[in-house]
Amino acid sequence: MAYFGNNPQRGELQELYADLNDLNFEKKKEAVKKVIAYMTVGKDVSDLFQSVIKCLEFNDIEMKKLIYLYIVNYSRQKPDDAIMVIQNFRKDVRKSENPLVRALAIRTFGCLRVPKLNEYLIEPLKDCIQDDDPYVRKTAVLCVPKVYEVSPEICPPLLEILQKLLEKESNALVLANLIQSMREIEVVSGKQIINLNQKIIQKLLLAVDECIEWGQIFILDYLATYNPQDSKQAEVIIERTLPRLSHINPTVTFCAVKVILKYLDFLDNGELVKNLCKKVAPSLISLLSWNQPEVQYTILRNISLILQKFPILFENDVKVFFCSFNEPYYIKYEKLDIMVRICDSKNFAQVLNELLIYLNEADPHFVRKTIKSIGKIAITYDKALDKAVSILVEFAKNIQSPTEPVQELLIQMQLIYKKSKQMYKHEDSLKVIYSIIDYANESESKSACAWIVGEFGEFIPKSVEKMKEYIDNFQMEDRLVQLQLLTSAVQLYLKYPSQCSALIQQLIVSAKDSFNPDVRDRTYIYWRLLSTDPEIVKNLVCFNSGTFSNFSKDLRLWETQDLVLALENMGSISNLFHKLPHQLYKNIKIKVNNQQEVKIYKGEEKPETQVKEQQDENQQNIQKEQQQDIDLLNFDDPPVNNNKNNNSNKTDLFELI
Amino acid sequence: MISSLSFINQKGEILIYRVYKDDISRSEITQFCAKMIATKENKESPIINIDQTSFIHISIKDIIILATTKTDVNVAMVLEFLYQLSKICKSYFQGILDENCIKKSFVLIYEILDEVLDYGIPQIADPNLLQKFIQEGGMQQEATISIDKFRSLTGTITGAVSWRPPGLHYDKNELYLDIIESVNLLISAKDTVLRAEVVGSIELKSKLTGMPECQIGMNDKLLMGKQARMTKQNGGIVIDDMKFHPCVGLPKFEKDRTITFIPPDGHFQLMSYRISENINIPFKVNVFYSEISENKLEIRLKIKSIYDKNVYGTNIAVKVPVPKNTVNVVSATGLGKAKHEIEEQSVIWRIKKLQGDVETSLRCEISLGATNRDQTWSKPPLKMEFQIPMFTSSGFRVRFLKVMEKGAYKTNKWIRYLTRGGDYLHRL
Repeated sequence: MAYFGNNPQRGELQELYADLNDLNFEKKKEAVKKVIAYMTVGKDVSDLFQSVIKCLEFNDIEMKKLIYLYIVNYSRQKPDDAIMVIQNFRKDVRKSENPLVRALAIRTFGCLRVPKLNEYLIEPLKDCIQDDDPYVRKTAVLCVPKVYEVSPEICPPLLEILQKLLEKESNALVLANLIQSMREIEVVSGKQIINLNQKIIQKLLLAVDECIEWGQIFILDYLATYNPQDSKQAEVIIERTLPRLSHINPTVTFCAVKVILKYLDFLDNGELVKNLCKKVAPSLISLLSWNQPEVQYTILRNISLILQKFPILFENDVKVFFCSFNEPYYIKYEKLDIMVRICDSKNFAQVLNELLIYLNEADPHFVRKTIKSIGKIAITYDKALDKAVSILVEFAKNIQSPTEPVQELLIQMQLIYKKSKQMYKHEDSLKVIYSIIDYANESESKSACAWIVGEFGEFIPKSVEKMKEYIDNFQMEDRLVQLQLLTSAVQLYLKYPSQCSALIQQLIVSAKDSFNPDVRDRTYIYWRLLSTDPEIVKNLVCFNSGTFSNFSKDLRLWETQDLVLALENMGSISNLFHKLPHQLYKNIKIKVNNQQEVKIYKGEEKPETQVKEQQDENQQNIQKEQQQDIDLLNFDDPPVNNNKNNNSNKTDLFELI
Repeated sequence: MISSLSFINQKGEILIYRVYKDDISRSEITQFCAKMIATKENKESPIINIDQTSFIHISIKDIIILATTKTDVNVAMVLEFLYQLSKICKSYFQGILDENCIKKSFVLIYEILDEVLDYGIPQIADPNLLQKFIQEGGMQQEATISIDKFRSLTGTITGAVSWRPPGLHYDKNELYLDIIESVNLLISAKDTVLRAEVVGSIELKSKLTGMPECQIGMNDKLLMGKQARMTKQNGGIVIDDMKFHPCVGLPKFEKDRTITFIPPDGHFQLMSYRISENINIPFKVNVFYSEISENKLEIRLKIKSIYDKNVYGTNIAVKVPVPKNTVNVVSATGLGKAKHEIEEQSVIWRIKKLQGDVETSLRCEISLGATNRDQTWSKPPLKMEFQIPMFTSSGFRVRFLKVMEKGAYKTNKWIRYLTRGGDYLHRL
């Protein structure tokens, strides 16, 4: 049989037409198969519609399925022809004693998606929802959202039947599909369709034990969006969900984790919460070593959320996130990210030792990300600073070409020096870094180098010559580099006025007519200031700041108030991209989180949640301020307590101009 | 839920395409194929979002199975479903899923796709069950099968024991148990164990009559602690986590940690487990790299089997990484053979059989070519593969397996243990 043949030429279509109308059954069947093959590769065979549906007369189930597939595909193009099939469907639904045939008919009927045909569908669909056979019932139940999508106006009576079924249905599989079907309608309509009561919840919990894995997922997923009335109810639901942690399907386990974590907030009993955490953690860890990397990836992407709300779960388990040599890189990236988040003032040495190994990996992106992670840890944890710098310096010693990791190394070293200027002494780091400065070839790393030359001019041999080299190439640089060069050159000028005066002249000449207004403006500001009062400039560009204590980075990914909602959606696509559903999907309504206070679950020794939260908040604000400074004028991060001083400088400056 | 499913080959051609919802067009898929699959960009992440359409895919050798959706679905579920789908296809094609068998049996695949998803919502994904009513070449003519059979079939599908049809009969009732453990090990260059973990599974092949209820018991510390009659020396092991086949009654397990189940017919995985405490590492490995001269490198390797004397490790392969510019390798081994394999960039030392408590060694002299001398060689980790029958790294043991059935027949049971190397790595 030709599968990937050429286009169905006119002759071929005619041949098919002849075969379809042949009296020989086998010939007909082969022809139908051929038609489907053409359809698969995207060829238009809709012209054969009439001949194909005529083949329905035969009572052959395989052929019936193929013809139905064909009808579903072309019904929208040929609505008038599709009407002819309706009698067939109705006959199958009403008369066939075979439940599989009844289900097949109603399933396909629902897929036609032709509005004017749907009115013929309502009555048989009602019958099927109340069919004796659960297989037919579950198929019919899933048919309702199909109809709703195309003709919502004729659906209200169907919805009533569904709600009634929800109350009386006893088959677990039908129930699970019913819940999912109603949720689909809720998504399309934006209205709440499912009305829960105590009895239904009980039934759903029972059904979880009895139905197939997908059904369990539907029900658990749904329960995660429900808010229990009280601690007692939360406890019952958790209790019924716990066994699911041992299911072999990782998604069932994951959904169970989701439900349990969500309901923890509603429990009064602190001891119980702790015990539950102990049960959830190993289950989650097993999922992380699941042998399907794609599944692992989705779990990892969700861990950041879990980590933020439940640091207690992975307290002593940083090892779980160590990368394995043969893993796909998309997994390694996620693990790296998580390791930085999980790192704290106690386990940083362990993490850094591990990151050290990754510096040997072959993939430059991965090495780059590792260096960035080391930098992040250095900046976040004071205690880690020395060790991190040693690692980076050791890495720098072996550099022989302008690779990607080198760029990141320079950027991170700049940040580390900004945090603690004294670090330049550590293991001669400045000397080593200066030796690789010529390997910078990205604007950000170049600007970092310019900053280093300006800031440490007095410790660097031939710093003025280096600066001259940069300024000679000034026109070719990116805006970011140009801005930094201006500041750094001025800084150097203040350190070596006589040697640099020609240099500054040259710089001003090449920068004052820049097309970029930022560069131009900064040039003029420095120029005027230098010609009026160099002392003010000194205050502006040189700080003997010592160590910044507020440099700490905020590693949180989610806004604290979003945590509860995000948790409800754990495992979803939006969550995978670290967003709330309405941020990714325009048609989803913003859901408001009614819980006032977001609980964070930590281990025992750590300080009070509330205080820590506030600190975080403060740090974030401070960081924002700092960032503004960097963005606007690149004032080399004035220490916050100097703010007032700084402001007065600024006013002076304006008066002067 | 899922809007469409496609099977795609490596060139990005669509082999099978089935739509479940109207919100996706074929052109979006072809675009994705041309842009992502043909350029291999899809390797960078299994989930790609383009204009509110999410493309979720897995690769089974050369075949990519792609699901698309426009709604905020549960990604893990979709992925797991795709894997199950691949298993279903394989079960129909004798374990192989490639372009040929897809093209040959596309009618069958469409039939399967019709049954496993409805409106994009996962339905039946149990291969055994599907084979009961979807068969290559079509079912027998309807007339020859009584309607009652169909009724009982739909009853099974929607019932609480969907994995086992009623009325099975065997003249000889047999149960085969395989306990297979994979050791994942990571040892640092300084010989400290960074991670040691056993992921094990119990595979069962059941040939049993009727609706038997089985109960299995292991040397699980938590369970045995409850049974006072156990002596201390026999205290059992700590199992971090267990995951069970749907046939296991989970509420009962949660309540008192007993594992009871009505087994599916034939071969299936009953459970998987993970153990991270008190792992017996089966081999001790010592490696020394030393530079003899500028273009000569010497590697000395010693391994010692640290399992019982009456146990034998088989098919042992030690992959010793060597630099890219290796030209020639001269090696001497105490046991087995060592060979330089260029594609693997390593010397692979294979030993067919190694008795417990035996030490053996490998010495290699490596001649290096002149290229790339200035680049320092970053050694990838040393990897070991092996199989050790009748040994478990975790100490895991099945204590009993009871079969209870109305017929009260006698069941013959066979049990095998096997430990093999998983991600078994020594950093150098």
